[in-house]
Amino acid sequence: MRAEISHKFIMGFIIVVGCIVTVNLVVPFTGIPEQWQQLFSVACAILVGLVLGLFFSRTFTANIRSLSDSAEYLAKGDLSRDVVLPKTSLPDETADLADSLNRVVTSLRELVGYIRSSSVKVAEAAEGVSATSEEMTASAHEVANAVEQISGGAETQAEMVEKSSRLIKELAVSIDLVAASAKKVSASASDTAGTARKGGEIARSTLKRIKQVLGDVEQNSERMFSFGVQVQKIGKIVEVITGIAQKTNLLALNATIEAARAGEYGRGFAVVAEEISKLADSTSDSAGEITRLIEEIQEQNHNLQASTKESIHELDAGREALDRTGHSFEDIIRTTDDTQTKATSIAELAESQTKSASSIVSAIDEIARVVSDNAAATQQVSAASQQQSASMEELSHAAQDLAALAEDLLGKVSSFKLGNEKGA
Amino acid sequence: MVQLLIFRLGDETYGLEIGAIQEILEAPTVHFLPRAPWYLQGVVNFHGNVVPVLDLVSYLGFNDEERAPRKIVLYPQRCRLALSVSSIQRIIKAEEERFLAVQNESEQEAYVRAVLPHEGMMVNVLDINRLLSGLAQI
Repeated sequence: MRAEISHKFIMGFIIVVGCIVTVNLVVPFTGIPEQWQQLFSVACAILVGLVLGLFFSRTFTANIRSLSDSAEYLAKGDLSRDVVLPKTSLPDETADLADSLNRVVTSLRELVGYIRSSSVKVAEAAEGVSATSEEMTASAHEVANAVEQISGGAETQAEMVEKSSRLIKELAVSIDLVAASAKKVSASASDTAGTARKGGEIARSTLKRIKQVLGDVEQNSERMFSFGVQVQKIGKIVEVITGIAQKTNLLALNATIEAARAGEYGRGFAVVAEEISKLADSTSDSAGEITRLIEEIQEQNHNLQASTKESIHELDAGREALDRTGHSFEDIIRTTDDTQTKATSIAELAESQTKSASSIVSAIDEIARVVSDNAAATQQVSAASQQQSASMEELSHAAQDLAALAEDLLGKVSSFKLGNEKGA
Repeated sequence: MVQLLIFRLGDETYGLEIGAIQEILEAPTVHFLPRAPWYLQGVVNFHGNVVPVLDLVSYLGFNDEERAPRKIVLYPQRCRLALSVSSIQRIIKAEEERFLAVQNESEQEAYVRAVLPHEGMMVNVLDINRLLSGLAQI
């Protein structure tokens, strides 16, 4: 049953007044002298008032003190104790206050426990975030390094591609040169074939002329032979003349001998014989001269015939050589025709190679463009990753700050005592 | 004035008075004479007479293989004889005064009467009598 403090005071007053009245009514039957009756009733009233007042004040003060102590604990942050009032059959406002205080303590306790656990969680989370952000920073650094390497690689790639492009352009130029050379070779081969055809014709006509010359030379050789025969006939005649001259000489000698034997009579005969001898000598000399000339002529004729034979041999050899030359010219024509065909096909191949090389060059230019785009993109990525790294570092700093804040909060909250450490 | 037939023996030129010569034969056939002395070339038919041919070249000791086909038939004063020489040249005329006497009179085998300088040649004039007497001694 509930009783408010004011009702308690009113009840106490009524009890006191009732006691006085009762005592006043009872006293005359007790035998107490009249003069003491008044005093006794007053004394009883005062006693009752005192007892009641003491009782009331004591319970009331005790409740207030326990409330005050609880508030004091609360003020110190000790949330471990509940406010406990002594049991009464008549609870009053102090009990309400104690209940309210207990509810405050309970809610505070819950709050502090929640704050504590939350701040621990926050601290842990912040540490986790910090660690993660550090890891992420590291990763971002690695990414940045990797991207820088990629960027460097892309630059070398770009250089290589440029080099490749240059090389292929040079190759294309070389192929052009090859094509030009092949065309020149083809032209030279056709020139050579033309020249060789002319040479073959010249060789044929020369062969014809050589055959004519050979015929002429053979005819001349025959003529020379008959000339030699004629000269030999002359030689025979000269031999006859020489014989006659010798005979004449001998006759002159014997005539001289005979004339000498005849003495003075033979003198004129001796002169004639001497003249005849002189004539025979000069005839013999002339015949000798003629013989010598004939021998010379014969020798020269022989030489001439020998040289003619040699000439015929040489001409035959020349004819064979010319035949071979003609064959060689035919071979040259065949070979040069072949060469021309091959050179033409080389030129065609080189032209198609040039086309391929130019398409390769354009493809490589495309690759170079892509590579330079890649390089730019990787540079952008690098910048972004560096930015990210910076952001991560900021995030890490923020997380560390947050952790510090959570620690601080935990420190602040830990000054509260929760008793059974509920919610810790 | 003397007329000499000059001829060669080896490289030397010899001369013989034409008075000692009967005839010069053109090219008579020289027949081989068996068992004849080494200085006889053989025999020739001279107008029906057999005449021995003296090989003057080897008889006088010249080392020469050449023999003229013409043979000189000597005038038969002591004996009939023909001479075979290297080659017969011609007949020249010379003054007796130009003959140079040879100082080897005592030399029996010389057979050279005198030496005649003629047109740059030195003609050894053959002493035919000494030659024939030398032959007769054999």
